[in-house]
Amino acid sequence: MVAVFTLEEVSVRRGQALLLDSVGIEIRAGSCTALVGPSGAGKSTLLRLLNRLGEPTGGRVLLHGRPLPEFDVLALRRRVGLVAQAPTLLTERVLDDLRVGRQELTEDEAAKLLERVGLPDSMLERPTAGLSGGEAQRVCLARTLAVKPEVLLADESTSALDPASTAAVEAVFKQLAADGMTVVLVSHDAAQARRIADEAVVLTAGRLVEHGPVAQVAYLQGDAV
Amino acid sequence: MNAQVPSWAGVATSAALVVVCVLVVWRQRLGLSRDVLVAAVQAAIQLVAIGAVLLLLFRHTGLPGAIGWLALMVVIAGQVAGRRARGLPQATWIATAAVGVGTAATLGVLLATGVIAIETRVVIPVGGMVVANAMQTAALVLSRLREEARTARPAIEARLALGLPAREAFAPHHRSTLRYALIPAVDSTRVVGLISLPGAMTGLILAGVDPLTAIRYQIVVMYMLLAADALAALIAARLSERALFDQAHRLRQVATP
Repeated sequence: MVAVFTLEEVSVRRGQALLLDSVGIEIRAGSCTALVGPSGAGKSTLLRLLNRLGEPTGGRVLLHGRPLPEFDVLALRRRVGLVAQAPTLLTERVLDDLRVGRQELTEDEAAKLLERVGLPDSMLERPTAGLSGGEAQRVCLARTLAVKPEVLLADESTSALDPASTAAVEAVFKQLAADGMTVVLVSHDAAQARRIADEAVVLTAGRLVEHGPVAQVAYLQGDAV
Repeated sequence: MNAQVPSWAGVATSAALVVVCVLVVWRQRLGLSRDVLVAAVQAAIQLVAIGAVLLLLFRHTGLPGAIGWLALMVVIAGQVAGRRARGLPQATWIATAAVGVGTAATLGVLLATGVIAIETRVVIPVGGMVVANAMQTAALVLSRLREEARTARPAIEARLALGLPAREAFAPHHRSTLRYALIPAVDSTRVVGLISLPGAMTGLILAGVDPLTAIRYQIVVMYMLLAADALAALIAARLSERALFDQAHRLRQVATP
């Protein structure tokens, strides 16, 4: 098993609160890993450590065996893309949004990115203000893919979407994982984790509770969490 | 200068106008009579004190005293502007630097080129105008940037997550803040003389200077204020940016004031 990320005794403390408590896991290359657990379990905190939008106060995070601080942080973030919970569009036109992280992106490349996330290329000229939540989240996903990341992090990226949009975004995650991209997603929805992921990491109150293939993780075997 | 200046007896007579104000607020039951009296007395005491200090500076300390006085004004302005942006890291220090550099650069250029005289009685009032304007601009920049850092965190982090450096990730907010902070200066420059007779010009006219001479001074002052505002805004914004992000291009938490 080739580990993309290795977390060694990682802790995050903010003030008096211990958000992550000595978490040690490995995230396999090409896997789709779901971080699950109740609210406040530390899932998003853990995810943000992987592209250094957050920093551990104890332990260390390795990428391909090298501690993250050894990488140039800007280059690291291009290798490890993040899609946030709420879709945040940054410009007035879809094409411009796709170019935020890569200005030299051609229209053809932009059209292919939209196709990859299940949107028509006619949307390139659309104003971002008129997009539905599902369309906006897929544009954000395409914008992240534009910088050609090796890993995709998704932080509850469907939690603000309706069922149809959720299904569309999930389909994109599945396809990316099938294409060999390492995907790490935070979800509070056990059914979603079962649908998309092949591995699951269960956190509760900042502590690692379970880690393994989705079919073997007891936390995911109920109807809802 | 042969302008007639009110005597102390004249000042005492003008106090009757305070009584007019007190009567109005008392008859209208506004509950402000005491505030009006306190404000009027406080204003008189403050002005007498500042007049005495200025007299001391003009007569005895010369230019070093004037520069010291200006430095004190900059420190006070930094405290006031910094307080407007409580929660922003290092706000007071940033405001002081912005006001100080804005004042020193603009006043320095005009003094060095001989446009205005290197005299205590010129440096202090003109410098005071620059400090006051730069203070307002710095306060606008700092308070607006604090709000941007708080409310636009998702957009800023979305850019950071795409690998953009902190300065680029913050650039749209930087630009909109500078625009917001400089519009008052641009607008007041545009309408000067039309809807307001500004301080320097009014003072010179009261002192008996020909209006066409007085406006020359005012034009210089307005241009100086524009430059001082722009410099103070830019410095406040750039230093705030450095305070808002850490070495790993992460947006720090901004405390709620």
